[in-house]
Amino acid sequence: MSDTPSHAPVKSIMPSWVRGPQDFIGGVAMIAIALFALWASSDLQGMRGFSFGAGTAPRMFAFLLLGLGIAVMVVGLVTEGAHLAKYHWRGPLFVSLAILSFALMIRPMGLVVTAFAAFLIAAMGTAETKWKETIIVGMCLTAFCSLLFPYALGLPLQMWPKFMIQ
Amino acid sequence: MGDLFSNLGLGFGVVFQLVQWTPAFLHGVSIPIPVNILLCLIGALVGTLVGVLPGIGTIATVAMLLPITFGLPPVGALIMLAGIYYGAQYGGSTTSILVNIPGEAGSVVTALDGFQMAKQGRAGPALAIAAIGSFFAGCVATVLIAVLGAPLTKLALAFGPAEYFSLMVLGLIFAVVLAKGSVLKAIAMIVFGLLLSMVGSDIETGASRMAFNIPELADGLGFATVAMGLFGFAEIIRNLDAGGESDRELVQQKVTGLMPTKKDLIDSAPAIVRGTVLGSILGILPGGGAVIASFAAYTMEKKLSKNPSRFGRGAIEGVAAPESANNAAAQTSFIPLLTLGIPPNAVMALMVGAMTIHGIVPGPQVMQKQPELVWGMIASMWVGNLMLLIINLPLVGIWVRLLRVPYRLMFPSIVIFCAIGIYSVNNAPVDVVLAGAFGLVGYWLIKHDFEPAPLLLGMVLGPLMEENLRRALLISRGDWSVFLTRPLSAVLMGIAAFLLVLAILPSLRKKRDEVFVESES
Repeated sequence: MSDTPSHAPVKSIMPSWVRGPQDFIGGVAMIAIALFALWASSDLQGMRGFSFGAGTAPRMFAFLLLGLGIAVMVVGLVTEGAHLAKYHWRGPLFVSLAILSFALMIRPMGLVVTAFAAFLIAAMGTAETKWKETIIVGMCLTAFCSLLFPYALGLPLQMWPKFMIQ
Repeated sequence: MGDLFSNLGLGFGVVFQLVQWTPAFLHGVSIPIPVNILLCLIGALVGTLVGVLPGIGTIATVAMLLPITFGLPPVGALIMLAGIYYGAQYGGSTTSILVNIPGEAGSVVTALDGFQMAKQGRAGPALAIAAIGSFFAGCVATVLIAVLGAPLTKLALAFGPAEYFSLMVLGLIFAVVLAKGSVLKAIAMIVFGLLLSMVGSDIETGASRMAFNIPELADGLGFATVAMGLFGFAEIIRNLDAGGESDRELVQQKVTGLMPTKKDLIDSAPAIVRGTVLGSILGILPGGGAVIASFAAYTMEKKLSKNPSRFGRGAIEGVAAPESANNAAAQTSFIPLLTLGIPPNAVMALMVGAMTIHGIVPGPQVMQKQPELVWGMIASMWVGNLMLLIINLPLVGIWVRLLRVPYRLMFPSIVIFCAIGIYSVNNAPVDVVLAGAFGLVGYWLIKHDFEPAPLLLGMVLGPLMEENLRRALLISRGDWSVFLTRPLSAVLMGIAAFLLVLAILPSLRKKRDEVFVESES
């Protein structure tokens, strides 16, 4: 699989003293998450005598993550490790866009329009898409979902755009 | 012993329950319908259908199909979910045998010899042996669950908060030790999961924690949302990177000659038995699961074989053993969940999520108060395995055709399907956005070699751990040594510490990696 980063010496943006950039960045990100959690839970009450306050457990886990993040970062500094994997922008971008437009459209536009539109946006995620077949499959899938979710599974979903119903 | 039979009897009674269906057009004539069997069948079918799709693992399949069970009554929903789980697993092995793209780590080993067999035109026997081995393992595991269920439940009732907390620590450590990759990073993922589980309101004080006044976060991050993002969306994005079509080769366009020869059966019979035993044991261990079981079974077969060089070149034992182990472990991993209420792996964590949505808190109490639920599920496991054997072999042709659906059409369909599924849980668009965000987080994690599965486990165990830690310390009046002075708790903590040391020792690390590296060499 191509997601395991290659060990080939690629031109790295990291300074040379970082010997395992993948772990280093991973550790730094964990530290950032831990610090964020510590900040976010700073307004919560701590220990009251023997009993835990609302903030005790979150802070405990955050400190633990902070320690682990530092450890992962140090491992990335001192041991030879994998380079950063190559990111692709096309897939993540269009899949995210599709999800986002689904979330924005589902309330006002209803299932049918939303599902079809989001399908087409998601399909842009790869260069291999052929539009004719994509549109046909998109229509079939929309029809299938409009039957499956509201009817077969009995979920209360609005089918058509709001302005059309009124 | 009598208990065992009456319990299983109760279970099968639930599974074969008939519901009278009186449609209006029949004018009062009612037709008995075995609803639970039908749900099991549909679950197994749908699970296989999604599990067969290349690049979609068991966890992703179960996560994606969770929403379709929400509308059912609890017993039916759990039976269907169990069906989905086995179906997904079997579908995954079909894919690894036919296209050499294992959907998840557990099927990696099956791909080694299974794909070679398919190349030699023996995909049929490979698939058949996988199904037969899985069925045998399923039968044994079902009995094992029934036998161990009751005594373990009694043990669990003797547990206090301190013991529970220690047991969960042990389970998480097991999950780390038995997993692939860096121990440190796996623990970091668990803690990240624990931290995520803290979002929402505190059970005891009702204070809002890390929710930033966002109303949708007030109840915490939805479990289905995070699972679908980390496993559904992230897998899709990652598969798009791989380029989809280019590396997919279907070796045998048509699967013919399903029946294994007599020699195949004789060769694989001992492997199936050994795989089942190994898988059953590894499945019960908290943290153990299908992945390590299949790797270990394959390694053992290779070591025991008189002619190890056959492995990797289409040895049927290399398919039989891991597939049996895989299935046995998948089922026995229900034991800690049903008796102790502790999910031993990510799939079981999803099961807990599903149970919680139906208002069931898994644990010893469920075993006593809702026996029909637990035993019905156990009996349905056996029925589910039987169905897989019956439906999969004749339907292999359909699965093969599914494998030919190009990824460029498949992935937008999955995105939409997931999006509708998440939206339908709470009718909340924010959930869909959150799942998308977790999809990107999951993609980043994969790129940095962090396993997302422990995260899910941590997220489910978080509230439980906090509650038990709180109680234990309240009872001991703030004395942390309670975890070491109570004997049972001390033993559990001791094992956990011992395991952690073992995992970090360099020589043993090498051994552990060897088991996993087997697949790459």
